Amino acid sequence: MGESVKSNVRSHCVGTTAVVYASDYLNKLTGERIERECKKQLDSGARALVIDFSDTELVNSIGISILLGIIDIAEKGGALVVFSDVNSETVQLFEMLGLTRHVVLAANEQEALSNLSTSPPQSQAIGH
Amino acid sequence: MNYNRNDYGRQILGRVRRDEFIGRTAELERLVSHARESSVEGRETQGLLILLTPLAGVSELLRQTFDSLFSRREEVVPIYFALPPDETTAVSAAIEFLNTFLLQYISYRRDEPSLCRASLALNDLVKLAPAADVVWIEELVEAYNRQRFGEDDRELVRFCLTAPDRVPSADVRPFVMFDAVQLANYSDSSIPLAIEIVRALRSGGNPFVLAGLRREVLDAVTRAGCNTDALEVMRLDQLGDEDARSLISATARRQQVSITDETRDLLVQQLEGSPFFITSFLQAAGEKRLALDSYLACERLYVDELMGGRVNRHFSSVLEHLAPEPETRASVIRLLCEATPEGKRTTHFESWRRRLKLDSAAVEQLLRLLHIQELINCDGEKIDITGGSTLWQDYLKSRFRLDAMREPRALVVADVMADALKRAPQTIAHHYRRAASLPLRELLGKFNSQLVPRCLFDFAEFAPAYKGAPAEEAAAGLDADTNLVRLPQVFHAASGVSFGSALRPFGEESSVVAHAFSGGVYTNQNEIVWLVARVESKLEANAALVEKWLNLLTGVARKSGLVNTQIWLIANEGFAPEANDLLRSHNAFGSSRQQFDILTDRLSTGERQRSDTDNEFQLIFPMGADNEMLAASAVEQVARRLNFTAEAINQIKTAVIEACINASEHSLSPDRKIYQRFQVENDRLSITISSRGILPINFGANSQGEEEATAGESQTSDDRRGWGLKLIQTLMDEVEFERVDEGTSLRMTKYLRQSS
Repeated sequence: MGESVKSNVRSHCVGTTAVVYASDYLNKLTGERIERECKKQLDSGARALVIDFSDTELVNSIGISILLGIIDIAEKGGALVVFSDVNSETVQLFEMLGLTRHVVLAANEQEALSNLSTSPPQSQAIGH
Repeated sequence: MNYNRNDYGRQILGRVRRDEFIGRTAELERLVSHARESSVEGRETQGLLILLTPLAGVSELLRQTFDSLFSRREEVVPIYFALPPDETTAVSAAIEFLNTFLLQYISYRRDEPSLCRASLALNDLVKLAPAADVVWIEELVEAYNRQRFGEDDRELVRFCLTAPDRVPSADVRPFVMFDAVQLANYSDSSIPLAIEIVRALRSGGNPFVLAGLRREVLDAVTRAGCNTDALEVMRLDQLGDEDARSLISATARRQQVSITDETRDLLVQQLEGSPFFITSFLQAAGEKRLALDSYLACERLYVDELMGGRVNRHFSSVLEHLAPEPETRASVIRLLCEATPEGKRTTHFESWRRRLKLDSAAVEQLLRLLHIQELINCDGEKIDITGGSTLWQDYLKSRFRLDAMREPRALVVADVMADALKRAPQTIAHHYRRAASLPLRELLGKFNSQLVPRCLFDFAEFAPAYKGAPAEEAAAGLDADTNLVRLPQVFHAASGVSFGSALRPFGEESSVVAHAFSGGVYTNQNEIVWLVARVESKLEANAALVEKWLNLLTGVARKSGLVNTQIWLIANEGFAPEANDLLRSHNAFGSSRQQFDILTDRLSTGERQRSDTDNEFQLIFPMGADNEMLAASAVEQVARRLNFTAEAINQIKTAVIEACINASEHSLSPDRKIYQRFQVENDRLSITISSRGILPINFGANSQGEEEATAGESQTSDDRRGWGLKLIQTLMDEVEFERVDEGTSLRMTKYLRQSS
């Protein structure tokens, strides 16, 4: 289980699941860094993404639109996305913009990983 | 010393006692403080222009200012000089100024007010000069005596007018108040007196006031090449009704003239709030020992004044000055009285030149003087002869009948009196109607892209919830109403009568046509005209009445070529159900008096709130580099002080961040700065985020309903951008785009009671 801090985005892999840590303020700059890291992980064979928001205090609308882009990419690649440790205000924002319809929320990283270990890959779940 | 230092009410030049000086108290205070503040050592010298509506009266105001400053015994030496009304020359006027200046200066320095009224030669004044001033006064008079016998009249005028500049600046500073109401009388002088006065006042280092007819003063200042930005301006109009009533009552008391409430109100209207006419009229009544206790008594004196009293003398002297030759004068009266064959009251320069048989320069000069007196409006080519007061029109008509038509004087007197008597009740009725009418124009004039509850324009929706409800209950309900409508920004509102004669029978105040832009952006699509009318009905207005008004207003719109319109009818008691249906079928608004009053109150409250800057913070920071976080941190600190909950603070911060991003992304900002303003009140925090720059043409055009889509509805990444406004609207209690000339200005409010 190695941890990467390249491009200032912390991440590590647990089996075929990549855990990516969002920073304290998710905006265009930090959002694009997360997007880049997620794409890299998916290209490297990750079958699920956990984006952890435990450090995240604020998210802006550009950050949210980038998260949706990440969800799109993951869905197209048949990978699952789980958001973990999202504070209640950010959950409220995600709900307002309909994000929660496309992503699973978990209380923390552990719960996210355990959810994923019991879920089949998305491509199987939808019958491909 | 022969005065009491605590007595600020000494009457020196004032013609009435300070406590009897009515209607210009605020202006008097402003002039006194202008003199005192401008005279502080090191302060930049300030000139003040008083722009006067004809007959609004300024001389007594300046005399009262003189008395007030004289009594204060500070370092300001008041000097009041009025150009003599009788025809004279620029040279004699300037010499008169020099004499008056020295007289009043020495009077002040010796603290002998009675000197101001003395008639003394310059050599006598030198003898009276106090020791501290004797040297420079002697030098001034000697220099004057040398100048007086020189060849250059213009140089002499300049020398006299700049005399105040020779006062050594050690102890005192002259404050010259130049009453140039009679300036027009000097316009045929070979020396341009107006320009010399302006230049002399401006070139000196002393504060000053220049008062005169507004058209003339502005013209003189421009011709003198003076920068008006460096001058303060005070505008003086006729007295308002309340002040005019007080002036009539006080003057009548002083003149021992008996009046009634009814005749007082008539005189307020008939004399058009002019201090000159009011005092002249009541002086005449006092001299003749008349009681003005009936309309008949008032109109009898009115006609006397018009045909041979002070009013007659005033207008006659204006005319004589305009046209000294009797033949020309008669032609002018004829031209001003006769409508054109088409019944229009507009004529052309050429027709005046032909009729007057004068050369173009003489006609131009005559028209200029009429224009200055606001008896006509002339743009050089077209002449509108509808100007002047009702008194002027009455005077003109009687002169026309007497001089041009050669009708018997007795007949003219009888007719003028009969007309005045017939008009009196109409004048009063018009006044009462106006006083009781809804202030439609004032309210429309306040429309400035505010968001207000939509139900204020829909009686059918408003009535079940709020009709008859206590004001507080209605206000609370409307505060929580989220169904809002954005008002347009009105840039011109005029009586509907100006747009269609069909509306005339209902009175000038009953309807308004307001030109506006909706959506806060000046485009053709956003141009809209509101047609607003008050519908007279004791009960709820019925469908027939509504239909009549819809037809009337639609007809006016059609005739005036108004395309994009919004009709709004207001009936005291609102509208009957079938009338509401009719309004809706025409997309017209309908409101009751209660709705109208609530709307008026809300818009006035908004203005008051905006003008209150005591609890306001401002922060300016550059766009980019995550600087929106600075804005969020700042608002967090302010919100904490107001005890907002953590959740509410987070919502406010997110909204502020979104607003900053919007400001950065949507404007081509020249300074790349974001202006953040917090306004703190007991129950709310308002934040305005603004930036300069040019907006994309459709930005904010549909701020109510835009960005309804949520994630995943076949949106591309670009589509997803621009959710900021939706977030802001969801997170904050009120969101309002304020109309600004460039850039964006978004005002957001969060209420404490709803958050905690």
